[in-house]
Amino acid sequence: MFDLLTSYTLFSLSTVMGFVALATLLHLQFGLAGIVNFGVVGFWGLGMYAFGVLLIQFEVPYPLAMLLAVAIVAAVSLLIGWVIVDLNDQAVLVATLAFGTIVTSLVTTEKWLTEGVVGLGSVPYPVETGDGALWQFVVLTAVTAAIVIYAARIAKTPYGRLLAAKRDNEPLARGLGKNTSRHKLTIFVITCALMGFVGTLSAPVHRFLTPDLIGPGVTFSAWIALIVGGKRHPLGGVLGVALTIFVFDFVIETYVPVPSEHAATVTVIKTIVYGVTLIVALMFRPLGLLGPGRKRGSR
Amino acid sequence: MLELRGIRSGYGDVTILKDVDLTVEAEIFAVLGANGAGKSTLMRTIARLLAVEAGDLRFRGEDVTAVAPNRLAEMGISLVPQEANIFPNLTVRENLSLGTMFGTRSSRSRIDEVFDLFPDIAARADQKAGSLSGGESQMVAFGRALAQEPRLMLLDEPTTGLSPKYVNLLLEKVRQIHDSHGVAILLAEQNAVKALEVASRVLVLSLGKVYLDSPVSETDLEAIQGGYHI
Repeated sequence: MFDLLTSYTLFSLSTVMGFVALATLLHLQFGLAGIVNFGVVGFWGLGMYAFGVLLIQFEVPYPLAMLLAVAIVAAVSLLIGWVIVDLNDQAVLVATLAFGTIVTSLVTTEKWLTEGVVGLGSVPYPVETGDGALWQFVVLTAVTAAIVIYAARIAKTPYGRLLAAKRDNEPLARGLGKNTSRHKLTIFVITCALMGFVGTLSAPVHRFLTPDLIGPGVTFSAWIALIVGGKRHPLGGVLGVALTIFVFDFVIETYVPVPSEHAATVTVIKTIVYGVTLIVALMFRPLGLLGPGRKRGSR
Repeated sequence: MLELRGIRSGYGDVTILKDVDLTVEAEIFAVLGANGAGKSTLMRTIARLLAVEAGDLRFRGEDVTAVAPNRLAEMGISLVPQEANIFPNLTVRENLSLGTMFGTRSSRSRIDEVFDLFPDIAARADQKAGSLSGGESQMVAFGRALAQEPRLMLLDEPTTGLSPKYVNLLLEKVRQIHDSHGVAILLAEQNAVKALEVASRVLVLSLGKVYLDSPVSETDLEAIQGGYHI
């Protein structure tokens, strides 16, 4: 079976797995807690680059570099969360989108630290034997599975109900004695730190870290996958990624023989299909494929 | 129990309540007035969902003019807002359990007590609250507020839009809650006749000012109606 897992296959599957983790973390932030985070790529990219810089530029030991990178993302998300925690949805959207853009810009301009567009590398696997890519995929899969299980369980806990209550009616939740700001900040920091952690695990998958890895497409792909799959369902991110990123970035790119002169067309078609899928999902199943359908006569 | 002195409050630059004085003891206190008189603003101000522009707000002798809304709940004030007073995506039982964060008794015993008081919603315990009728939703909101073991309940027009059957039922439950639990109740109502049937004291607001404040036993309907004619 492992003969089928070529280095390219492992790279594609690891990328898909990273998106499943990001979309599921976005479910916790948006679907459960109602936090409109459009800076997913900022937290993921910061984790990835912080890890790469610490490991390569400062020669920090591997596990410590990962730990410090996650701590940096947690600290930054705490600062951002403290600013946005009581803002309205539109302001949170703009603030987090701006954060993602700032991270990308800083990575591009601060060449002394990140090597800019030339790229920072190469980020090794923790296990530099022949099976390094396979082990990294296994670790990413295990971490993603843990995140999905956590998402599935938290909704049934008192804390999950509290987050859902806050999402649906924050003033009422506050009137019940809930410190909604603190709970919102806590879930934001935890999930952003986990996005950073996924970023550290994705760094050796990409090997060379370049600014084009952390463009806004990462954020939008995670959002589209979640909305298509079902923002309120813990498996919404899994299904959404399976129907979008997995189909295009793995199945078609790996198994559909597209002539090289038409390779660019596939990317354009992918964007169009993503857009159409999103519109159709919003029209007929606003809460995604795993959410309830639109009631008759509600349009 | 609750004292308001010279309270001014409103929305942004618009002041709705103008120098409102009010003292609520362990009683059912009806707040009446025409649309726009400031009843809901008064409730939201006491619950600290609106900022106090001027004046003092005291609860059981403690100045609560600037405390956070969640702290008020801990002190024993529960609010049942007029609208959006349930969490539609949670079940009835989950809605009720959110009211049991503070208090001395177990969550289960408090929820069971609510189900005893409102058997209609006990049958729908595991149903999403968003699928309930208006009257049933009000019962859930009442029940959740009661599960908080409050000393003072703020009920903001709880019978608005309900059928006569539910109006009578809910106001009877208000009386029961007060009699059996000793909870003080501040009841903002459009339906003056019904409110006066359960209240022992009445306050009439007119354009954000106190028009009348007296015991129900010493007040006739004509005097109250004066507050509705601007």
